[in-house]
Formats: sequence, structure tokens, C-alpha cells
Amino acid sequence: MSAGTPNWREIFRYLGYNNGARPEGAVLEMIERAEAAVRGMAEAKSVYQRFPLVFHGDGAVEIGDIRIESAALRRNLEGCAGAFLLAATLGADVDRLISRLTALGHVSEAAAAQAAAAALIEDVCDEAGESMRKIAAARGLKLRPRFSPGYGDFSIEHQRDIARVLDTARRIGLTVTDSLMLAPMKSVTAVIGLSETTGCPDGKCEACAKTDCDFRRL
Amino acid sequence: MDIRDILGKRRLFLDGGTGTSLQKMGLRAGERPEVWNILHPDRIEALHRAYLNAGADIIYTNTFGANRLKYPEGGDHSLEEVVKSAVNIAKGAQKACGREDSSWVALDIGPSGKLLRPLGDLDFEDAVELFAEVVRYGAEAGADLIVIETMGDSYELKAAVLAAKENSVLPIIATAAFDERARLLTGGTPEAVTALLEGLRVDALGLNCGLGPREMLPIAERFAAAASIPVAAAPNAGLPRQVEGRMVFDLSPEGFAEQMEAVARAGAQLLGGCCGTTPEHIAALVGRCRELPFAEPVRKHRTVVSSFSTAVELGTGPVIVGERINPTGKPRLKEALRSGKLEYLLSEGAAQEDAGAQILDVNVGLPGVDEPAMLERAVCALQGVTGLPLQLDSSDPAALERAMRRYNGKPMINSVSAKAESMAAVFPLIRKYGGVVVGLALDEGGIPETPEGRVACAERIYSTAAEYGIAHEDVVIDTLTLTVSSEPRAAQVTLEALRRIHERGGRTTLGVSNVSFGLPAREKVNSAFLTLALEAGLDCAIMNPLSAAMMSAWRAFAVLTARDERCEDYIAHEAGAEPKPQAAAGPLSLGGCIEKGLSSAASAEAQRLVAGGAEPLDIINAELIPALDRVGKGFETGAIYLPQLLMSAEAAGAAFEALKAGMKEDKGSGYPGKIVIATVKGDIHDIGKNIVRTLLENYGFDVRDLGKDVPPEAVLDAASQEGVRLVGLSALMTTTVASMEETIRLLRERLPGVKIMVGGAVLTEDYARQIGADFYGKDAMASVRYAREVCS
Repeated sequence: MSAGTPNWREIFRYLGYNNGARPEGAVLEMIERAEAAVRGMAEAKSVYQRFPLVFHGDGAVEIGDIRIESAALRRNLEGCAGAFLLAATLGADVDRLISRLTALGHVSEAAAAQAAAAALIEDVCDEAGESMRKIAAARGLKLRPRFSPGYGDFSIEHQRDIARVLDTARRIGLTVTDSLMLAPMKSVTAVIGLSETTGCPDGKCEACAKTDCDFRRL
Repeated sequence: MDIRDILGKRRLFLDGGTGTSLQKMGLRAGERPEVWNILHPDRIEALHRAYLNAGADIIYTNTFGANRLKYPEGGDHSLEEVVKSAVNIAKGAQKACGREDSSWVALDIGPSGKLLRPLGDLDFEDAVELFAEVVRYGAEAGADLIVIETMGDSYELKAAVLAAKENSVLPIIATAAFDERARLLTGGTPEAVTALLEGLRVDALGLNCGLGPREMLPIAERFAAAASIPVAAAPNAGLPRQVEGRMVFDLSPEGFAEQMEAVARAGAQLLGGCCGTTPEHIAALVGRCRELPFAEPVRKHRTVVSSFSTAVELGTGPVIVGERINPTGKPRLKEALRSGKLEYLLSEGAAQEDAGAQILDVNVGLPGVDEPAMLERAVCALQGVTGLPLQLDSSDPAALERAMRRYNGKPMINSVSAKAESMAAVFPLIRKYGGVVVGLALDEGGIPETPEGRVACAERIYSTAAEYGIAHEDVVIDTLTLTVSSEPRAAQVTLEALRRIHERGGRTTLGVSNVSFGLPAREKVNSAFLTLALEAGLDCAIMNPLSAAMMSAWRAFAVLTARDERCEDYIAHEAGAEPKPQAAAGPLSLGGCIEKGLSSAASAEAQRLVAGGAEPLDIINAELIPALDRVGKGFETGAIYLPQLLMSAEAAGAAFEALKAGMKEDKGSGYPGKIVIATVKGDIHDIGKNIVRTLLENYGFDVRDLGKDVPPEAVLDAASQEGVRLVGLSALMTTTVASMEETIRLLRERLPGVKIMVGGAVLTEDYARQIGADFYGKDAMASVRYAREVCS
């Protein structure tokens, strides 16, 4: 069970509504039903930990024992003294819910549940971000935008490193498949830089090179 | 001394945290602790010695994460060396402390770090083998017992226990990690875990990690209330807190011991610690709890079946076993089983669950169908959509074994009889995998005609079960419902036998519906028989929960026997039960209903049109297809969005179902063709593929959906078997596009005439061409358009 208000704008956007269009009538009711089901099944868990950060001369960044070669991540972390690693998941029951809806032929509701879950995991990350912000603020530090493996040239290979270092399988039940997918599916891993300045040109979504993505945040 | 002689006879103390203790000695976050067995054996031994000196009776080897995944072949450290050295270090510590004869070395097995299918990508049998390897090394090195711990998933727990049993004769303690809602990470309750583990015949069970002793107390109480074998509890040093982004456990040794006293008094016979606990914590625990009065575990005699998430107890009130997943007399289910499309079977399961079934019977026996393979597949698929325990129903022991092995939980098994051959085939399976077995009151001489004869069969089943170590409560007797129209006294004999079994403390089950065979208005006889059987002491009614008459009789019985206090359940279901007028479609035409995505209205309108004499095929061509086309066009021009497109497709599907009833067997000349679709190997994200399937089906395509994570060979096999002209593949990420490319290559090589369309988040037109696809579907409608082109 997860509290809070659904981020309807995001949910509609994930479902393809653009230019301010909104669903109505039976479609809206269906989406609301799916959202409520996701919220009822979600068992949101997150874990984060602070690690030292080293910038190597060859361009690589090292967070804890993870060595990452990514210009985009390096730009995101420029000027940072340390970084949080974050992992969050909605748990296995949301995956089961979506499978069940699909297996029973309710594909519209499965798609809506998928969108609602995507919006909800964002909220879970934002909540964890709020706790991290407070920890940082106590030391006069600020958080950089969340940066996940898969953004730009930050390889998704590193999902496995983040899962290992945070011991996510044990602590929140989050695992990484051989093909580098997160399981349960509605999960996130990310790096969040800590610095004295807010100044960061890179956003989250906006930093991605895939400019033709339908879900790009503008 | 064999620890089995002591387990449950006196309190035993386990050790405390290993990983967190090693971190204090300098182990870095993310570093594999087991490597220290090689690099720093002195430090590991010192920790073991500290725990032994603190009073621990059982020490866990430093092998929590030691498995093939983390120690791959050709890696820096061999798994065998890591595991064997861990056992040797622990034995060395025993010797150094002079505790060789008064302590035990437990081979520690933690979770694999992967999720099993269908939630993740680790196959169940691969998980078994992963653990089996560790068990073999540990047993060879001389471990005294095996501890399986911190499991967050009942399926993985089962894999580990099976591995331990199949590769050693060592005693097994199995503990799982629960959260504050008393659930495993994948949902299981203490009662469900207890049923599973007792069914697998471990030697002690319980919980560790996740929580501190105070939070663990109510869960330990539930274990003690449910379990007939010793319960182990090893909590963390308090609830973990994140301080400054670090995980800390800050309960002091004294505080830990104080809280653990309550856990001991709640009935835990084995006490220890997990994360954050130190030798000081264990010393304080031993000091405080050693002299507490000890209570041996008590046999509970409960009849419990379970799934991965829930346990259902029989004997505390009758339960409904849904009977509808059984092909006898069901042409649609037969067709589904023959074609291998399990959607219909799954929807029958879900519908019965929604109607009130508490257990689902699963029978897939049908001439021409490979029953062992199909039962296994059906059970796995059903467990993907329902958390209800299943009753595996087959007369083929090979089918039962395959399904029991894969089943996630403690199943109900239907059935065994008093025939010697039947018992010799089924009881060893119950003994190995666990289960509650239905015993049919018949033997080599057939079905006895008297109650005495059936009770005698039951007695033979009970006593033979006992020889296999199967408890009385794990047998449920079916006194056999026969048809009253052919034998007037049949129901009386059945009920009398049932009453006698019940009076002797036995559990009972009946397939209720047979009684009325050959009679008109069968539900009337069935529901009256159900009421009589319930009154005679029926525990499990195998019946159709979708029958309103049966459910009314069920609820009325609950009211009359004071099981439905204040009649709430009865009123909730029966108050609005007067027949409703046919859901009026209002002013909307069938096409309008489809465009608006109103499934039930579309179905009702289709029925109305057929009742009015219209030809189903004409309705499809004049109303259904044009409406779908309008919605499809709207989607392509951006006037309509995906959810509405899908709802329209579902409404069209509902209308089609209603029309199909009135259609001739052939699917009509407009039938466009067969397509195989799949989400490629390694990819578990299949929503896009499912959307495409829904739309293709609504345009009349016969779609063979192979699911997700499908190997290239399986796509090839299906495509050549079905002789299709078109294959659709989806992949979500760059990592899985590689296996899409491999699949395409294989198809090109072996089936050069087949067209291939692809879709998925990271694909583009160019990318698709580059990997050799014929067509890139940017959305579901584009795929439909292409499919029509190819198959026209």
C-alpha cells in the first residue's frame, strides 16, 4: 500500500496523451481503477547509501568501488564531493497484477497499470530523494538530479554494480537479470551527486541523447 | 552427536551477524565476504570462536552468498575452495574452543540474489542446481547440518530445500526474512511458509533478518502457532535505520537479549541473531534465556495447503474448491488445451477466484495432450495470475510429480485410492514434495456399496500413508459422489460414509456435481446435496463457484450454522440478486459500444442482434470491423489514444465472443491467417507485445503468443510448426535487441519465406533494418496494417 496522490499528468503522458489531452468517461474510469489497483498492490521499498567519489584523469568516475566511464554521468557529477546510490522498487505484486490483467485479456487495464506503476516509482524515488536532501542539507550540501544507468552513455551494466553494492536483493528484493533488466520490473537504480553548488546543467530525462523518445520530458 | 536428537528437546543458540561483523573488520560494501575464507581465514575463525565462546551451539559457515553466480567458473576464487575452506575454518574454531562435541557447524545458504521465473529470469531447476553444488561441497567438507536463511521468496526457499535433500542427508533448518507486514518480499505469510517447509520435511523452520526482535515477536508467535516442528528466530540488532545514508543497527546487547526473552517465551526453540548482532549480543542472549523454561514443539494436527502467498486451513470451516479447470464436458477448455493456449484456462481460474473459490482444482488430462508437460505448464501459468492454492488433479503420477516439483507452495493432490498400486505411486511424492492428498474411498474391488466399505478403504489409506510418514491430517477422504438417478441410495451411502469419517476426526472432500448426472435442473439437486454434505461434515466442496444456485446454498448454510455472523456475507451477495434486466445498450449501436470501449454493452448488443435473427458474420462485417477501423484510424491520426484503442479492441472481443456462439464451425472466409509473436530471450517486459496481440486478434488473426523471454529456437519451432507467413518480435532494451537479432538470423536461415516484424522501445526504422527485420512497427496499429498486408 502506498500513500500520496497519483501523478495523473505523468500517468496520462505515459499512456500517450499529449498536448494537454485527457481521457474521459469509461477510459478515465478504467485508468483510475488500474491506478488504485497498483497502489493497493505496491509495496514500495528503497535503499540508499552515500559513497565517496573520485574523478580519474582518464575520464572515468569512481563511486565506491564502481568504476564508470560515462561522459554524461561525469558532467552530471562535476564538482561533487560524494554521491548517493539509490535503488527503489514497487515489489513483486505489481508485476503479478500486470501479468494477471494481461492474462485475463484486460490489456487496456494492464497498460494503464503499467503507466500508473511507472509514475508511482518516480514518486517513491522522489520521496527517497527528499530524505537524502535533508541529510545533505545538514552538511550544507545539495543534491544533483537523479541519474540512472541507461541515461545517455551511462551503461545499464552498472545496474548490477549498484544492486551489488547496496545489497538490494536482500534489502529490498531488487535483482538484476542476465540481460540487465531489473526484477521486479517497476524498479529504479540511480546515482545522485552531492555538491556545494546547485549548479547543474544536466536534468534527468533531458540529458538523454534519445531526443525522439515519445516520453521525453520537455 | 546428531543434532536431530537434540532439536526440539532443548533450547539451542545460533550465532549472530557475519556480514556486518566482517564489515567492522574492514570488509567493504559490495565486497564478497566469502573471499575472506581464502584471504583472511584467521579473521573468520576468530569470529566463529567469539560466537562459540559467547555460548552459540550452532555456528554458520561464511558461505551466505557462495554460489556459482557470484563465483563463476574461471573466476578469481573457486567456489569449491570457498565453501570447503569455510567449513574447515568453522571446524577449526570448534576444536580451538574445545567444542567439537557440543556445537555444530551449519553450512550456510543464503538467497541467490536472483528472482525466479516468472518474476525474474532464474529457472527453478537452475536454482536447484545452483544450491545443490554448494550443498555437495559443504557435505563433502563435513558440515553437520544445512541452514537455509534470509530467503525472501518461497519459491527459492523450496529450490534450496530440495537441493539440500537431494544432495545430502544432513538435517535442514530453513528460515525466511519477513517485513513488518509479516510478508516475504514476494508475498508469503508465516503460515504459508510453514506449510511449505513442513511439507518438504525440514527439521526446523522460522525467520531471520529483516526486523529486530520486538518487530519479529508477533511473527514468531504466528510461526509457533502454526508449526509442529522447532521454530528458529534470528533477528537483527533492532530495526535497521538509515542514518546519514548508512544502514545502522543500534540495539545494545542487553536490549537485544531483553527483547529476545519475549521471542523465546513465544515459543521459539532456536535463538540467534542476524545483521548488526555481535558475539556480545549472543552472550547477552544466552545469559538471559538459557534458564528460561523450555517448551517442546507441539504437533498441531492442522490440515493446511498453501500457495506462494497464502495458506488455507481445512477443517476450520468448509472451503470451496473450484472444479471448472477440467476438460470433461467443456469443449472450449479442450480446444484451449489442444492448441496450447492457456488464456481461457487462466480466465476460468480468475473467474472462480472472484466468485469465491478458495482452492482451484486443475485437471488437464485429455487424449492427445502430453499431460505431464501440460499440467506443469498450467500450474506455473496459474500461479502467475492467482495466489490461490491449487489442487493438482491427475491419475498419472508422472504428471503429478512434474507439477508438484514446480508448484510454489504445498499443494492439494487429487488423488490416491486404497489400491496398493496407487498408494505406492503417490505417497512417495507426498513424502518428498509435501502436499495434502485426497484419498478416494475405493480399492481393487471397486467402489464399496456400503458406508462401512468406504470407511474401510479410508482406514487403509490412512494407515499406509502413516508408513510413509504422512500424517493423518495430510489425508482428506473423498467418500465418492455417485449418480442418484442410477442408484437411488447412492447419496445416502456417500453421506453416511462422510459422516463417519468426520466423526473420527478425518477431513473430507466431495465432488458435488456428479450426484445429479442425467437429471434435469441439475443445480437444484446439486445445491440440496451440497447442503446435506456440509451438514454431514464436508470440509472441501469441489464445485462450480460460478453457479449462483450453488453459491446461494453455500451462503445459506453459513447463515444457518452461525458462520456468517449478522448474515453480512449473505446479505451482501443475495440482496441484489434479483435478476437484473439485460444491460441496456441504450441508444448506442454495436459499433458505438465498441468505439466507446464498453465491453458488456457490446456483448449484450451483439446478443440482442443475434436474437433478432441477424447473421453473426453479417454483424461482424457490417458493425464490428468498421467500428474497429474507425478507432484504428483515429489512433493513427492522433484523435484517439492508446487506452481507448485497447478498450475498443476488448469490447470488440466481447462482442465477437457473443457472436461466436451463433456461428458455424468454420471461421469464415475473412479469416486472415496465423501469426507467431514473442518477446525475445532475456526480455521480461512484454506489455507492448501484449498490446499488439490484442489488436491482431481483434482483426481476426489467429495469434500464437509464445510469451516473454523466448529462446530463438522456440520461435523457430513454433513458426515452422504453425506454418506461418509472419512472425512478430518485441524487445525493450539494447541488451535484448541482440537476442532479437539472433532470432531473426535463425529464422532467415531456416525459414527464408517468413516475414518478420519487430517493435520495442529502443528500436527505430533504421535499427530494425540493420538487424534484418522486414518491418518496424512504431505502434500497435502499424503492426496490424503490416500483418494485413502480408497475410492478404
